[in-house]
Amino acid sequence: MRKDQAITTSRIGIDVGGTFTDLVVVPQGAGGDVQRHKTPSTPHDPSEAVETGLRDLLEDGLELSSVDAVVHGTTIGLNAIIQRSGARVSFVTSRGYRDMLGIARARLPESFDLHAAAEEPLVPRERVLEIDARLTADGRLIRRPSEQELDDLAQEIRSTAPEAVALSLVQGFTAPSVESELARALEERLESVPVVSAAGTWPEIREYERSLVAVLEAHIRPLMERYYEQLRTRLSALGLTAPVYISASNGGTLSLDYAAVHPLETVLSGPASGVTAAALTVPDRRVLTFDMGGTSSDMSVVVNGTPILTTSTMLGRLPLMLPVVDVSAIGSGGGSLVTTGGDDDVATLRVGPRSAGADPGPVSYGRGGCVPTITDAYLSTGILDPQQFLGGAMPLDRAAADTAFAEVARGIGANSAAAAAEHVLEIATVQMSTALRTLLAERGHEPSEFTLVPFGGAGPTHALLLAEELGITEVLVPGTAATFCALGAAIAPLRRDLARSVRRELDGPVRDFATTVVADLAAQGVLWLRASGGSPDRARLHLSADMRYQGQAYELTVGLSERGIEGADELVADLATLRESFHAEHERVHGFRDDTAAIELGTLRLAVVSAPADPPVPDAAPALVDPQAPRPSAHRRLRRASGWKDIAVYPAAALSGHAPVRGPVVIDVSDSTVLVPDAWTASADSHGAIHLTRQHPTEENRA
Amino acid sequence: MTTDIARDIVALKLRAASEEMCKTLQRTSRSLYVKETADFCCALADLEGRFAAYPRNIGVSGFVGLNVRATVEAAAESGPLRPGDVIIANDPYSTMGLATHLPDIQMIRPYFDGEEIIGYGWCFIHCSDIGGRVPSSISPSNDSVFAEGLQIPPVRIVRGGQIDPDVLRLVLRNSRTPEANHGDFQAMLAALETGCRRVQEILDRYGREAVLSTKAAMIEETGVRTRSALRVLEDGSYRFVDYLDHDGVSGVPVRISVEITMRDGTMHIDFTGTDPQVNSAFNVASQGTVHAWLVTRVLALVGTLDSEIHLNAGLTRDVTVNAPHGSLVNAQRPSAVGVRHASSSRVNDALSGALVQAAPQVVPAASSGLVVPVVLAEQRAGGDVVQVLEPMVGGMGARDGADGVDGRDSGISNLSNNPVETVEAELSTTIHRYGLREDSGGAGRWRGGTGLELVFEVHARASLLTRGLERRLFRPWGVAGGHPGARSELVINEGTATEQRPAAPDVIPVAPGDVITLRTAGAGGYGDPLDRKPGAVEADVRAGLVSVAAAERDYGVVVTDGVLDPAATASRRANRRAAGHGVGRGAEVSRWESVFGIEDYDRFVAALMARPLEERSSLRETVLREALDLLPSSFPAGDVEDAAIAGARDRFMTALAAMEA
Repeated sequence: MRKDQAITTSRIGIDVGGTFTDLVVVPQGAGGDVQRHKTPSTPHDPSEAVETGLRDLLEDGLELSSVDAVVHGTTIGLNAIIQRSGARVSFVTSRGYRDMLGIARARLPESFDLHAAAEEPLVPRERVLEIDARLTADGRLIRRPSEQELDDLAQEIRSTAPEAVALSLVQGFTAPSVESELARALEERLESVPVVSAAGTWPEIREYERSLVAVLEAHIRPLMERYYEQLRTRLSALGLTAPVYISASNGGTLSLDYAAVHPLETVLSGPASGVTAAALTVPDRRVLTFDMGGTSSDMSVVVNGTPILTTSTMLGRLPLMLPVVDVSAIGSGGGSLVTTGGDDDVATLRVGPRSAGADPGPVSYGRGGCVPTITDAYLSTGILDPQQFLGGAMPLDRAAADTAFAEVARGIGANSAAAAAEHVLEIATVQMSTALRTLLAERGHEPSEFTLVPFGGAGPTHALLLAEELGITEVLVPGTAATFCALGAAIAPLRRDLARSVRRELDGPVRDFATTVVADLAAQGVLWLRASGGSPDRARLHLSADMRYQGQAYELTVGLSERGIEGADELVADLATLRESFHAEHERVHGFRDDTAAIELGTLRLAVVSAPADPPVPDAAPALVDPQAPRPSAHRRLRRASGWKDIAVYPAAALSGHAPVRGPVVIDVSDSTVLVPDAWTASADSHGAIHLTRQHPTEENRA
Repeated sequence: MTTDIARDIVALKLRAASEEMCKTLQRTSRSLYVKETADFCCALADLEGRFAAYPRNIGVSGFVGLNVRATVEAAAESGPLRPGDVIIANDPYSTMGLATHLPDIQMIRPYFDGEEIIGYGWCFIHCSDIGGRVPSSISPSNDSVFAEGLQIPPVRIVRGGQIDPDVLRLVLRNSRTPEANHGDFQAMLAALETGCRRVQEILDRYGREAVLSTKAAMIEETGVRTRSALRVLEDGSYRFVDYLDHDGVSGVPVRISVEITMRDGTMHIDFTGTDPQVNSAFNVASQGTVHAWLVTRVLALVGTLDSEIHLNAGLTRDVTVNAPHGSLVNAQRPSAVGVRHASSSRVNDALSGALVQAAPQVVPAASSGLVVPVVLAEQRAGGDVVQVLEPMVGGMGARDGADGVDGRDSGISNLSNNPVETVEAELSTTIHRYGLREDSGGAGRWRGGTGLELVFEVHARASLLTRGLERRLFRPWGVAGGHPGARSELVINEGTATEQRPAAPDVIPVAPGDVITLRTAGAGGYGDPLDRKPGAVEADVRAGLVSVAAAERDYGVVVTDGVLDPAATASRRANRRAAGHGVGRGAEVSRWESVFGIEDYDRFVAALMARPLEERSSLRETVLREALDLLPSSFPAGDVEDAAIAGARDRFMTALAAMEA
């Protein structure tokens, strides 16, 4: 516990997981330790665990007056979308487009599936209404509904009994105000039913994806408003007066008031927060994040302290065009189930994709699970100490895991339970590494260029197995690995992304038009920033644009400029500079440029970012105080390379200030365990982060 | 029972290598076909040329049954293959069907362990243009492969890691898009290099024996699973014939006949009775192999029955094919083959028609069976702007237990559509409607998926192309009492004085103000529509997918003011049951076969096939024309007098007798 709370203020980050809700208290400015706390999650109302956790911290001596901000992320919006359990939505669109949501992008997930089904629609056809309102590609309103038609439409909408309405016109993005006005006119007529305008929310070209933004927003807004109100009530009851922020999918945070109206911007905040933590705490390396939780593992790439955003992610089978941190699933989590299959001649061992989840969980949890999982394999190979799981909070039943693997061993003809468990880890590792390698190939990267930063409950445990397989030679385990997403929430900047499609050939007049559009976006952004309590002094505006050579089938997002608020009107450079930015980026990415071709300006993108005070940064090199290696706290029997070996166990704290230890060893960190194989050395810095390096990058000693 | 963990791991790595090859190719290519429509693939083959590791859900899945062996052997005739060599080819005939039309450029690189070949890396891409009569190289009216572009037999384009500049120059000189092709070639070589590196890593760590035995085991595992999946098809022989409206030039329908014989999960497909090869580009150069375009529907069935099966040559291990020499499905040089996928749509339907007899609970009724890239070529000062409005498909067939998917069909190419907003930004056109087509899905206990309707107004002088607009004559069929789907339609200025229904859907000139309406066929229904739950019909009526009139006519369901009338429905259904119901294949097929009966036509095809190759197609057309000339031009659509049918049949039978004499 820190002793200087009276003079240091702090930010509290809260991440709600399936099993536990993590809280971290991050002191502002340099120095001071991050305080961590875990409390069981309360899925029926996540804010209950938030309140409990904060209460625990207060009892532990946290001063309410020292809290600068509370930042909270939640998955209830995402869950509502996946389960279609949000508000009953009716959808209004231009005449002729009743089937926009049903036809979607036409493609079905599998070619070899005669029983293919379309995705469950968010709005069934009978709740889609058409209206005589239509714009052209160049923004002319060619059909406008009369007052009478609006009255009739309102009547029709009422007959579908919606809790929320989404409105999206074809070509609506070309003049967002038209649609916003229409939305207001309908809202007046419908009284208490909210009407969400697609173009007013996200004026980007592509009618299906933009309409989905409005439909999804309408689907979860009532639910999220209720939840945030509940949260606000609970926090006020605690006496908390500091502002509350909500983690966003773009790796930033939003004010509670803004998030309540725009909840769609927060639905993927969970995985994004961990990547933000890596970006901000390891800003000077090429980082590959590896988040291994209970049901799955995710990866993401961070270069120069900046997470990479994507505008083509999926929520189940629905595309989301809003920018979100580019996180990809690579396979198993600790709860992934081990199954045997095949026929009389060929036995196969499969790991995942089904998961035991938190309930019943792995066999060793003793909650009724009888199919072994990856966590059970850690236990049966001796990597995990059954008495030390989650810092000793939850003892595991190793004998049960061994029994389950003995069964697997019989199924596949392995000679012992431990041998079967070792095979399971090997297969899980290869599955993850091959998925990861393919994802990197898609982006043009090689794994060996990166430092692997693992987090999540099982991330540190599996990280070095994965690094060995991928030829990665640097691994950095954050001191807060098990609560990394909560840390990311606490230290993330305020950030909002804005966009507006232009879709015209880039010439002088279009460049001037872009200037107007960007000024408008910047004005909206600054207004938002002030309303959210962000600091205009620290704010940065980042402008980028989707561009292409005319006739090309694909666009390239080109970073154009970055300014403070005072420089907003300099964001759009002169025509020649804009063109050159595109030519240069095209050459970098695709290997050629065409100076004679016309360039098309697609979508302008502006990010408004305002960082809180500096986050804790790991020491560049671990400080060496004592040239002696630390003393192990215990020894453990570990199954490696088909044999048992007696290896040393170190608590992470013992490493700090000492000469590096050499693998094979095991390091117990808070709420997790790091397996250090042969040929790796480990040392800790003053923040408790563990730096691991492979000594001989050869293939001899494999994991 | 034995296990081999190394084998499981090597298999994982080989499959991942094929996927990484695809990602490498896709990222480094810059051509439209690769980036947007994913018309490419990569895989790893074993020493017999069979694909052992094939990617899933990246690129074209349907080519998994192809074989690289003939191509490799042809290239090796000019000297043994060395490390770093890469073979290029696109000629369907000398690759034994590996290349399925000329724009699909194949590259193969032998992978070595020391001095010995241990397998092959393969990739293909659909390039933008490989020369020939028309830009992009493909046209239905090409009458010979020589019109379709440069034919590249298997030759080395890279020797020992060095590109052969002469071969490269020769190939690029024969394309209208040399730079794009050059870029594609580089992307392909990069993909093969990625594959080589990964295979080498696997060899270094696990050894040659592990790689060779794993590939064999992978194919074996998929073979075993495939056969076990296909045992759901009851033993026996099942025949089905289906028709293409026309072959693109002659205007007479083309028949495809299949007979599937199942025995304990093994399958033999006999195409005897399929029309001779045609004088247009609809031919499939299968070379008599178990060719990709002849078994796509079978692969889809296996994928449906076993969704976790790994794709590789094991899928076709127990499938054999008899495709008669010189028929549409085993065309001989110099037949044109550019539009072979159009024939494949109907081959799929014919296969389904046979398969559903063997597994009525599993196989759906006919899907709409068409892909129509609606293309508008606008004449502008700076040159024509040619753009696809939407790739139009229909719906999917109903099956026992489920309605078909409306307006979407993954069966042939599973393409994404284009945002209307980007289309309108690039062409001078307004798309008034892009939606599901009411009353088009075949009625049934389970309803067939609806077709689509596209209505657009052109604002500039332009040419309209609707190639692939099939099923305007013969409907997608229903099963087990299910009705066929509605026929496709193309109308210009519908409901006005200038209404026009173009007969041949090739190039149609359009003027500013013209409104074009294109409706794609609906898919077939499954089961008697009188058995459909009244509530489901009511829901369809409320959703606007079935009209009140059709609900009453096809389903015997009475819906008044959006609400089901149970009493009226019950009495209507009782009356209708007594009256019987329509034929699942549609009245058009019945009329056609009342002139050209299935068995008579079998004899006709046999007589044609006895003639020299080059005479067959024109003789077929002449005989059919003579009979069709005695019938209304709308035949087989619309009512026809019995006398006319009888007259036409006599004419046909007389000609047949003469041929057999």
